[in-house]
Amino acid sequence: MSHNDLVITFYDPILITGASGFIGSKVVETLLASGYKNLRCFVRPSSNLTTLKQMVGSFENSKIDLIEGNLLSPEDCARASDGVSVIFHLAAGMEKTFPGSFMNSVVTTRNLLESTLQQKNFKRFVNVSSFAVYSNFNTKRGGILDESCEVESELVERYEPYVFAKVKQDQLVTQYAKQNNIPCVIVRPAPVYGPGKAEITSRVGIDTFGIFLHLGGSNTIPLTYVDNCAEAVVLAGLKRGVDGEIFNIVDDELPTSRKFLKMYKKNVRHFKSLNIPYAAFYMFCYLWEKYSNWSKGQLPPVFNRRRCSAYWKGNQYSNEKLKSLLGWRPRVGFDEASKRYFEYLKNGRKSP
Amino acid sequence: MIKVGIIGCGKIADQHAEQIQRIRGSEIVGVCDTEELMAKQMHERFPVKAYFSDPTRLLEVSQPHVVHITTPPESHFELAKLCLEAGCNVYVEKPFTLNTEEAEKLIGLAVEKNLKLTAGHNSQFTHVAIRMRKLIQNGFLGGPPVHMESYYCYNFGDPAYAKALLGDRNHWVRRLPGKLLQNIISHGISKIAEFLTNDSPRVIAHGYSSPLLKSIDETGIIDELRVIINDNNNATAYFTFSSQMSPTLHQFRIYGPRNSIIVDDDHQTLIKVNGARYKSYLNQFIPPYIYAKQYLGNSWDNMKKFMKRDFHMDSGMKVLIESFYRSVLGEAPVPISYREILLTAKIMDAIFAQLNSGHACFSEEEIGERKA
Repeated sequence: MSHNDLVITFYDPILITGASGFIGSKVVETLLASGYKNLRCFVRPSSNLTTLKQMVGSFENSKIDLIEGNLLSPEDCARASDGVSVIFHLAAGMEKTFPGSFMNSVVTTRNLLESTLQQKNFKRFVNVSSFAVYSNFNTKRGGILDESCEVESELVERYEPYVFAKVKQDQLVTQYAKQNNIPCVIVRPAPVYGPGKAEITSRVGIDTFGIFLHLGGSNTIPLTYVDNCAEAVVLAGLKRGVDGEIFNIVDDELPTSRKFLKMYKKNVRHFKSLNIPYAAFYMFCYLWEKYSNWSKGQLPPVFNRRRCSAYWKGNQYSNEKLKSLLGWRPRVGFDEASKRYFEYLKNGRKSP
Repeated sequence: MIKVGIIGCGKIADQHAEQIQRIRGSEIVGVCDTEELMAKQMHERFPVKAYFSDPTRLLEVSQPHVVHITTPPESHFELAKLCLEAGCNVYVEKPFTLNTEEAEKLIGLAVEKNLKLTAGHNSQFTHVAIRMRKLIQNGFLGGPPVHMESYYCYNFGDPAYAKALLGDRNHWVRRLPGKLLQNIISHGISKIAEFLTNDSPRVIAHGYSSPLLKSIDETGIIDELRVIINDNNNATAYFTFSSQMSPTLHQFRIYGPRNSIIVDDDHQTLIKVNGARYKSYLNQFIPPYIYAKQYLGNSWDNMKKFMKRDFHMDSGMKVLIESFYRSVLGEAPVPISYREILLTAKIMDAIFAQLNSGHACFSEEEIGERKA
């Protein structure tokens, strides 16, 4: 990519929130490897900084500031974003409650956006959202899921705090960008895997009931390897002419759920799993949802039709927009990516 | 129809709204949070008429009969006072206030204005807590309690709370006089306070930071607490708070002169411990059988309640809110006596005074002297 294609120079300051996280640390590494010399890594005081410190230590010619703070504090946001040109906003609320997740995703994002209003040389705000915000409730099984698809609108029925918070965060970013002329890009990664990720994506299955229920069947599983994802995020922050765009991040060569699970069992460890057909689990979710309503929440509607559809109905996924507008290509193919991931899991982490 | 307002739209507010929704004849007319986004998100998820970022606007516009205060404890006193002065009855989440002085002022104001107040000691109203109360009222203990043991533990293994607290040096819990303990122990202390007869019990507290916290240089938080309470020699009680004990007990044991009761909040079991002894080996054969039968009975009871849609996770909160609303309508007395609220606050004050000074105090007077 030539310099004319980029919104900033290699010396302009860049802020990365959630910089010690799974994707965030890889974004930092990608930026440094691409030659960016002036990074600000925003981390929580409780973050484990071992990996991040080791990694930034190998880029001696770059200026890398670690800023500890809380994005719920407008003062911390102002301090972190002072003079920056691009913000990669990866910090997210992972709490299990609606208010907790909302506060740590939406209120924090608002604070960060507010802080950008004071910046004179601000070029772009990259909001890292999630694939989970889409609804395929009214999409056919096997239909294409891309950026033009419907975002979940029935957030109470879907009953996922993370999805609720991410949808609201995207809405807030869009609204702020429009009202205040903030150049923004939203990226929505598919489930991200790679060394550092301990669990198998729930799109393959869940172990809530004591045994692993394989729910993905022959569905294509949307995945993105962490290196590929980080590159896409970085491009979304730097490439000229894409303000206001939304990009789904999903790799090529996607495996089926069955293949992925088989590979996992072969390469990491064997465990018992039960194959559940989509129709059967959909019926289970329907009954659970009805019971939840009837009992006035004695069992919360954690299993419901909208969630079942979003994760296990099965779609095809497109990354055409990412390729055509950002020139992104997944650098690590599935064979190599899965090899690295399974090796990581085998040598340390257990999943599911 | 009881018109309800909620001030503070954080995690606990969701539980309140869910329970209020289940109570016939009540509606949430407004929610308020100084962070408007938080108020708005609650308004979007619950059938709530309006949302506000200013409590005075909530009181003026929505005119609730009852206000639930679900903010961090530092603001409980001012907000409850504001609501009482506006003519609203108030449900204050636990801990009721930061200290006894504030609690006394609020109760005085409520009495003066002929309004009702309650504290969020909802674990006093679980199915088993209600069963225990009935048994005691019917004389099961065979007289006033001799001794009580209350366990109210907290597991730091729950990452959400521990991370929020330990990772944030400015977390509001750190600003409370009793820090972490103040935000949690009132449930367990109120269980003891209910059965104390003396208004100024002697309190001996011993607290320290667990090896886990010390290992991460977190010595400002006390997460292990042992307390002895002496009700002027009428009854005694032990209170235990631990973040390290496993299982994480939430248990109350009350021992009478004839029989005793063990209530387990986690498993929703109530075990009647009969003081009678059986002859010879029968004392080893019969009581275990009786206990086994009781545990089975508890399990069956819980399942029956579940089948009848009467076994919600926060059932105690619903009963407390419902009872409070009945008292507001003049149909019943307040569900938690003001004496119990004050006594809980006094015992907590005594505990924190000792922990903060590093010395043991024994009575309310001594605490006053130390404060002076």
